[in-house]
Amino acid sequence: MKDIFDLALLQNTIRTATPLILAALGGLLTMHAGILNIGMEGMILIGAFFGVLGSYFFASSFMGVVLAIISGIVIGALFGFFVIELKSDEFIIGIAINIFAGGLTVFLLRSIFGVKGAFSSPDIKPLPDLHLPFLDKIEVLDKIFNNHSILVYVSWILVLLIYILLYKTPYGYWIRGVGEHEEAIETAGINPKKIKYISSILGGVFCGIAGAHLSLGYLTLFTENMSAGKGFISLAAIIFGGSNPIKVYGASLLFGFFDALGIRMQSLGIASQFTQMIPYVATVLVLFMVAQKKLMKRKGN
Amino acid sequence: MRGKFNEQLEYLGSLFLAIFLALVLGAGIMILNGKNPVQGYMALVSGALGSKYLLATTLAKTVPLILTGLATAISFKSGIFNIGGEGQLYLGAFAAAYVGFTFTELPVVVGIVLAVIAAMVVGGLYAFIPGLLKVYYNIDEVITTIMFNSIAIMFTGYLVNYPFQASQGKMGGTDMIAEGFKFPKLVAMSKLNTSIFYTMIIAVLIYYLMKKTSYGYNFKIVGENSIFSRYAGINNKKYMIWAMIISGALCGIAGAFEVYGTHYRFLQNISKGLAFDGMLVSLIVKNNPVGIVLMSLFFAILKTGSNAMELNTGVPSELILVIQSVIILFIAGESGFKEILKRRQLNKARTVK
Repeated sequence: MKDIFDLALLQNTIRTATPLILAALGGLLTMHAGILNIGMEGMILIGAFFGVLGSYFFASSFMGVVLAIISGIVIGALFGFFVIELKSDEFIIGIAINIFAGGLTVFLLRSIFGVKGAFSSPDIKPLPDLHLPFLDKIEVLDKIFNNHSILVYVSWILVLLIYILLYKTPYGYWIRGVGEHEEAIETAGINPKKIKYISSILGGVFCGIAGAHLSLGYLTLFTENMSAGKGFISLAAIIFGGSNPIKVYGASLLFGFFDALGIRMQSLGIASQFTQMIPYVATVLVLFMVAQKKLMKRKGN
Repeated sequence: MRGKFNEQLEYLGSLFLAIFLALVLGAGIMILNGKNPVQGYMALVSGALGSKYLLATTLAKTVPLILTGLATAISFKSGIFNIGGEGQLYLGAFAAAYVGFTFTELPVVVGIVLAVIAAMVVGGLYAFIPGLLKVYYNIDEVITTIMFNSIAIMFTGYLVNYPFQASQGKMGGTDMIAEGFKFPKLVAMSKLNTSIFYTMIIAVLIYYLMKKTSYGYNFKIVGENSIFSRYAGINNKKYMIWAMIISGALCGIAGAFEVYGTHYRFLQNISKGLAFDGMLVSLIVKNNPVGIVLMSLFFAILKTGSNAMELNTGVPSELILVIQSVIILFIAGESGFKEILKRRQLNKARTVK
């Protein structure tokens, strides 16, 4: 047990939770606007690739993140165009984006870098770690929360910002309104299409940043299919947290913990599949409990 | 009737246009890479159909596509969306493999039939749960089936690495199934085996079910208009759940055939998105069973041919994934594109006046 549960595990939790937090923040925005985005998996993958591309060619991790964000804008706009403008089924487009991302990134990997499977190079500049001096004094906090890659801290700030955006600004009111009562928003003189576009594009951007964290912060390389289900865990976190940024943040940390635990158990030769399964099982259970409550209420009435 | 015929003709036009545009895009990418697209596509076609062996390889690839495509069609037509084919395929494949390496003494026919039934039951049950949750609790089946995919893949991953690990060598695989259970190969060295015949029979049965029986008609109107079908006295819930079960059973069979025809054991990565490919196939042809068979062949040609294209011209084979996803984007946006075009024309007509 001592081999498994220690401070390093909590530190790893922070690391593994970050891509989930970032992607889930994007996904919950589209979710609030009434669009289920199951293309997050592919969007993360594309972000991871362009992060490496930017960092490698401009010799700057900042440019890597910029490129990942641009790729997120493009893919988010594409998703939005099909779902909002052409009124295509959102999950068909989501699946298409996942397959497209898998093909595109490997294709580009091979035609630009000429390698198969994975690309790593000393010329890929990793994101810098951040040292918070005020944490030095308390050893426990220092070990868990200090010296992480910069996007880890950015993701925490973003959680708050998105919370404020959603619940304290008119934009948030409109985004939530579009998802709930599109007509009401329209009569208020707001163009619901525009709101939906903004949330789709923001969704893409956040997934792009999540990808950049994977390939420049968490690791410093790109591998085929490196999103490895993170988009789906993020989706689970969104549903588990009821699309509320703070709760989704908590869910992401929880799921990140199981991910970190799984990695630790694997390295010790213990079956990790059941701990890794927890996010998915928990999400279905939560859906079931919420649905049952609704059903009881209706029966009560 | 005539209206419907015209509609289908129009759709075929859009389909060919979508494929054409996607191939043009592929050609453009090849040119950007400094390759000759004519050479690339020629290599692709001859690499998929150029010899008996290649043709067999191509045909072998249609089997899982057709089965998972039909699985998608029957659920989508009924208005319930089974995205969980991948998980159902994994569980079905494992169940079939279990029968094959456990009951090795059974007569061949009994063993195989038992394996396929096991795969159908497991796959069907695994689809039944999200169906039930959808129909009685109104829980979005898209979300539950996605979650169920991950759960099934991890669960079989556990089974194959711990309790059912191969007795010798090879990580991530079970023991081989009994020698006699292996489906005979039709062309030496290729992967083409007798499962293609079973798949054809299943395709005909599903076609018959969907197009020629009252069940099929009911599935369709349940999908198109659940209020109308309720007035017509059809039990929507029952039909949606059965659609999920049949869909899951078909994915289970696809898994069983992967084991009995191709790998002869369960592998932890037995399918890298086969069910999602099948879903694309079905969506492109709007869930039409005949279309699924033809489109599966097209996808299989692209898949097999892309390897030859890569060898001969240096164009990475993943280009075809880009082409396939672009086709589905065009088709998914079809009605929207048409609407925009119509609006443009109307606007033009107005300005002329």
